[in-house]
Amino acid sequence: MKRSLRLVRRRLLASIPVLLIVITLTFVLLETAPGDAVDAYLLSIGGGDAAVADGLRRAYGLDQSLTARLWLYLTALARLDLGWSVAFERPVLALIAERLPNTLALMGSATALSFAIGSALGIVAGSKPESVKDRALSSISLILYSIPGFWLGLVLSLVLAVQLRWLPTSGIETIASGKTGLDRFIDIARHLVLPVSSLALIYTALFLRVMRAGMEEAWTLDFVLFARAKGLARSRIVLRHVARHAALPLITMLGLQAATMLGGSVVIESIFAIPGFGRLAHEAVAGRDAPLLMGIILVSAVLVIIVNLLVDLAQAALDPRIGASEASS
Amino acid sequence: MKLIHKLIRTPEGIAGFVILAILIIISASASLIAPGDPLRIAGQALLAPFSDMNLPLGTDRLGRDVLAGIVHGARTSLFVGTAAALAAITLGLCVGLIAGLAGGLVDEILMRVVDAFQIVPGFLLALAFVSVMGASLPVVVIAIALGAWADPARLTRAQVRSIRERDYIAAARVIGMHPAEIAVRQILPQAVPPVLAVSATIVAAAILTEAALSFLGLGDPNTVTWGSMIAEGRNVLRSSPWLSIIPGIALVTTVIGVYLLSEGLAKALSGTHAALTPREGERS
Amino acid sequence: MSALHVSRRQMLQISSLLLASTALPTLAAAQNLPKGGRLVVAADSEPKNLNPAIVASNGVFFIASKVIEPLAEASFDGKDGLEPRLATSWESASDGLSITFKLREGVTWHDGKPFTSADVAYCALNVWKPLQNLGRIVFANLTAVDTPDDLTAIFRFSKPTPIQLIRNALPVVSSVLPKHLYEGTDIATNSANVKLVGTGPFTFAEHKPGEYYRLARNENYWGKDQPHLDEIIFRVLPDRAAAAAALEAEEIQLAAFSAVPLADLDRISKVPGLKVISRGYEALTYQLVVDINHRRKELADQKVRQAIAHAIDKQFVIDTIFLGYASASTGPVPKNASEFYDADVPSYAFDVERANALLDEAGYKRSGDGTRFELKLRPAPYFNETRQFGDYLRQALAAIGIDAQIVNADSAAHQKAVYTDHDFDLAVAPPVFRGDPAISTTILVQSGIPAGVPFSNQGGYSNPALDAIISKASETIDSSERTKLYNEFQKIVATDLPLINVAEWGFISVASERVLDIADNPRWAVSNWASTALQP
Repeated sequence: MKRSLRLVRRRLLASIPVLLIVITLTFVLLETAPGDAVDAYLLSIGGGDAAVADGLRRAYGLDQSLTARLWLYLTALARLDLGWSVAFERPVLALIAERLPNTLALMGSATALSFAIGSALGIVAGSKPESVKDRALSSISLILYSIPGFWLGLVLSLVLAVQLRWLPTSGIETIASGKTGLDRFIDIARHLVLPVSSLALIYTALFLRVMRAGMEEAWTLDFVLFARAKGLARSRIVLRHVARHAALPLITMLGLQAATMLGGSVVIESIFAIPGFGRLAHEAVAGRDAPLLMGIILVSAVLVIIVNLLVDLAQAALDPRIGASEASS
Repeated sequence: MKLIHKLIRTPEGIAGFVILAILIIISASASLIAPGDPLRIAGQALLAPFSDMNLPLGTDRLGRDVLAGIVHGARTSLFVGTAAALAAITLGLCVGLIAGLAGGLVDEILMRVVDAFQIVPGFLLALAFVSVMGASLPVVVIAIALGAWADPARLTRAQVRSIRERDYIAAARVIGMHPAEIAVRQILPQAVPPVLAVSATIVAAAILTEAALSFLGLGDPNTVTWGSMIAEGRNVLRSSPWLSIIPGIALVTTVIGVYLLSEGLAKALSGTHAALTPREGERS
Repeated sequence: MSALHVSRRQMLQISSLLLASTALPTLAAAQNLPKGGRLVVAADSEPKNLNPAIVASNGVFFIASKVIEPLAEASFDGKDGLEPRLATSWESASDGLSITFKLREGVTWHDGKPFTSADVAYCALNVWKPLQNLGRIVFANLTAVDTPDDLTAIFRFSKPTPIQLIRNALPVVSSVLPKHLYEGTDIATNSANVKLVGTGPFTFAEHKPGEYYRLARNENYWGKDQPHLDEIIFRVLPDRAAAAAALEAEEIQLAAFSAVPLADLDRISKVPGLKVISRGYEALTYQLVVDINHRRKELADQKVRQAIAHAIDKQFVIDTIFLGYASASTGPVPKNASEFYDADVPSYAFDVERANALLDEAGYKRSGDGTRFELKLRPAPYFNETRQFGDYLRQALAAIGIDAQIVNADSAAHQKAVYTDHDFDLAVAPPVFRGDPAISTTILVQSGIPAGVPFSNQGGYSNPALDAIISKASETIDSSERTKLYNEFQKIVATDLPLINVAEWGFISVASERVLDIADNPRWAVSNWASTALQP
């Protein structure tokens, strides 16, 4: 337990310089952008003259130098103040707090679903490598793994929502329905079916392949050979030894994919009109809203750090050998 | 040569090899199959496939030839995929090599930068980068490479660190070989193969990212891409579904080809171990 | 939109006529329209500032016009093309130095306070004139507003101000805010800019960011038996393809402003229960324009500009890009601004040979690879159609030996590049015609506009004769004299081609057949919807 705490502390300390690098790079990137928040705002109101533009730039502090603004941002951040969104005229933190749950629901369900189905199918495939079942599953997963999520989302919504009308076409819940409690939960779940499936399918294929690969490798390891020699039942070997060995890389993969999945949700959210993190990022870029984009990138970086920390803790718990070396690097 | 021989003996390898060979031939001869600008207006708008033999795959909203789009789009996809992967791997190799060899503070700083790129979702980064710099082919390539170089860098560094402790490196040092020469002649050749093993998945990811960017309207407007064809076709998905389906199939086929080749490569390299793990490089 | 081009166009005209004829009897018996119901509408953007008195844009009006009303609204058959709202009459003094508005009696704000001339005076002097993008031009010479009684407001001007301009601008510039909520506050950051308080048929109920705006019925509305609906919900659907799907799945009942892609209309018009309507946008005409950077020496040559005009097949643009839902332009004033429109101007027929000949004459011969010179083309990213026209223009220019490289950028970057940095040779722009040339097209050709003003002449074009006409028209109080000046203006623009007007278009609404009494005025989508009803 003490070792876990040390691991957490080390990780959190190590992440501070990383986050500083992220902030600085994002600032520089936005600085090189042609057009600023005032240009974007004037566009949205259909025009304005140079005096208005200058006034707005002063009001937003855009007339100050890059380093001055960076310093202001960092000092505010130290007080956990993520700043003021220019495009939405609201605090960044409030905006993010509003959108994050939707994205977390989308990502969380997609992860849980793909992890459960992917590993289960992976066990089926890996229980007897090179069998017909294995080959079929491997081929199918390869195809699924090659289908872009946005394309799948289009096709699924066309068939299931528009043509068959089984599910809603877009949104996160029925608007202004006044539903509460279980009704609301079911409503949101129904809205999430299509986006979650579009996002999860590719990861289901991935987890299947990782699980299967790990198991294939495990069959050749000594302890499995020993177990087989002992004459243990095959199903018992599969679950107790082989699958367990293969579970570790699977969990590693979960951590590695956190960032990719967050990125993938941008496109899915845009197709299904889900007011989440990804769409907010899109709007922040379009509005040249530096504080907002910064907040989004920062929070997603923190999210990825947290997921990886959890993964490391899980691994340390599953395999005592890992924790020590992980914590020292 | 021996590797290719081994490669085409695996079923995955031969399938991937054939798919990609066909794609490369098609994109190389794109100007012969569909001469002229593929964005040219070639006929009546929204012609269904197989209804006019001069325009076998039909036309889109503006009357542009879908076949020309597919063929020239293959060129864009393969170019962006390989260019972005090449850029990412080159950058990753350099950074990994320097970090692994230098150690100490340089290593620490470089690896924190790598961390920074690894924890920011690559697609978010590419999205922001392209919107900010303006969509053009080089910008798209750089944007994709920016989100993909961190893994090869980490992988290279791990390799370099394990290699440099080996005896023959110590021996080279003892006989007075220049550190730069050691790096290039002794360490680099050893560090490259594991990175190459994941290169195919980087290519596949780059092709998919390019398609997603184009789908969101962030592709180069002067070149035809499959992603932008899907996005354009989306507006008429119900009445002319082929406009999205055909480029979608082309995209999926290409990615499958790359993955198959990568599987075959992995098998050829290491017996039976499959390597469909895009981010196989472990984290510190 | 008068020209009949293709059968689809005719079909639309007929269907809108049919709609009008069925709408008339129901209007006569408005009490028979069903009461109640929730209308769900697609909204493609979420303006952060919803105050129509500050931000006179269609995206804001779309939502805010139901809550905050102008002095008068555009009308198909009313006097001067107007229908009274908060004002019941308006009259100009013979010297053009004052305009008297009589205001409606018995109107209350949503918070219960009475509406009076003090509100109008406050807005005119503190909001419309200093803060609003268009009001700055219209009320440039406004010096005072007298309020002899609660229902009279007299606008006083330092220079003669044409009543024609004021009338044409009223629906757009005269949204009235409650003085008691704004006085003494910072108007630009007042919380009432996001939680609107007005006099309109609907009150602002809530905004759930990223999801919807909800408006509720105003029980105390001054209009007799209005409004009919209980609720209007603007559902945020930034993705255009999602609107069509949501309509078909009956999740929404109305998609205005061509939220359904034009290419999908043919199919969707056949879906049972849905109707396609092109009426209701006559006063919201968008113009498809090629902006020209006259700093490029090739483009400073009138022959080259004429060649480009001859190279554009307007019919193709109308038929293929707009699928018939647009008409070809002849000059800077659109046809449906019939008060000002003048067809008697030079025209440029689609003629590639003539275009090539003009370029040869101008001395730009084709080089070995068939190219005369290269250009940078920036299509505005705001509409599908402007981007598609950019794709088409590149091909059209290739046919006459001009190699145009398209540069796409998002809205903010496009704006900066074209209107501030002048980093373009040709740009595709969709300016809006707002009922009067003084507040719409003249700014596109007038000289002396500082860099950084969006949607204005940033191509470096300068023509003293044209400038003189524009400034004279701004002070000509006689309407027919003023109209004549604008006829002259159209001739000069069409002859000299400071920019090329290609097409003009209104938008299309797709609605469920259950939605009744829609498109009953030329700014319907951005009007108050007091008479709109929903069949249960």
